[in-house]
Amino acid sequence: MKTKKIARLSLLTAIALIIFIIELRIPDLLPIPGAKLGLANIITVYAVYKYNARETILLVITRVILGSLFGGNVSAIMYSMAGAMFCLICMLLIRRIIPLNFIWLSSVIGAILHNTGQILMAILLMRSFAVLSFYPFLIITGTIAGAFTGLCAQYIIKRHIPDKTVEK
Amino acid sequence: MTKSVKVLLVSVLLLFIGSVIAVIIIVRKPKGTYVEIVQNNEIIYSFDLSEEKNRTFRIAGQQGGWNEVRIEDGKISITDADCPDHTCVKAGVLRSENIPIVCLPHKLVIRFADKEQK
Repeated sequence: MKTKKIARLSLLTAIALIIFIIELRIPDLLPIPGAKLGLANIITVYAVYKYNARETILLVITRVILGSLFGGNVSAIMYSMAGAMFCLICMLLIRRIIPLNFIWLSSVIGAILHNTGQILMAILLMRSFAVLSFYPFLIITGTIAGAFTGLCAQYIIKRHIPDKTVEK
Repeated sequence: MTKSVKVLLVSVLLLFIGSVIAVIIIVRKPKGTYVEIVQNNEIIYSFDLSEEKNRTFRIAGQQGGWNEVRIEDGKISITDADCPDHTCVKAGVLRSENIPIVCLPHKLVIRFADKEQK
């Protein structure tokens, strides 16, 4: 990997972390564990469409680990990681069939899978299916939040920030 | 709009509508007043809310940490906890049969249960 690329990826990770930390300050709107805006995923969606699979996975893993350290909730790392991986793998798979105008859809699917991963992890860790009753709530909140972050990412991607201004 | 996008769009839409219906089914008033507190998948307390006196007590987590549970006028809620997210506190009073109060860091669940299970 070129130095230039490493620098750019770390810059993206830093932006995602800043968004993540600012979002922590926003009080939870709903008393449902796992339901949140996920604004940091704007960067994830952006990376999925601008970088290759390996680089995106690296970026997301770094963000999740550092994010849970900064957020002060390391015990939640299992949930975040399971969600992020589910979401990422699916978004990378459907990247080819989704045109530029439907990136928000890819983000919605990613958000739903993120919640699916979290729920599966919770079932595994708690050895109980009680958390499954949150799933429909999470699908609804995930769809709305995913559409919003997806639209944000879509506008950024379509604007096409030229690489040269960064390289100089 | 290609065919695959249409398929994905329709399936997401169906999932969304399905969830809305599921949520409507889930959010219903409880029939019973029998409640159990589960920690690490083991029932540690079980009682009938309508017969309980008003009181507040702490439940210690197995790996440290605690949740403060309050029973008041036949309603149960978690009023305080030392976990960082406080999701269980924000959940408020236990209302629905299908939505338990869950504290993920302490693996604690408060839910309605059938009396027959006793």
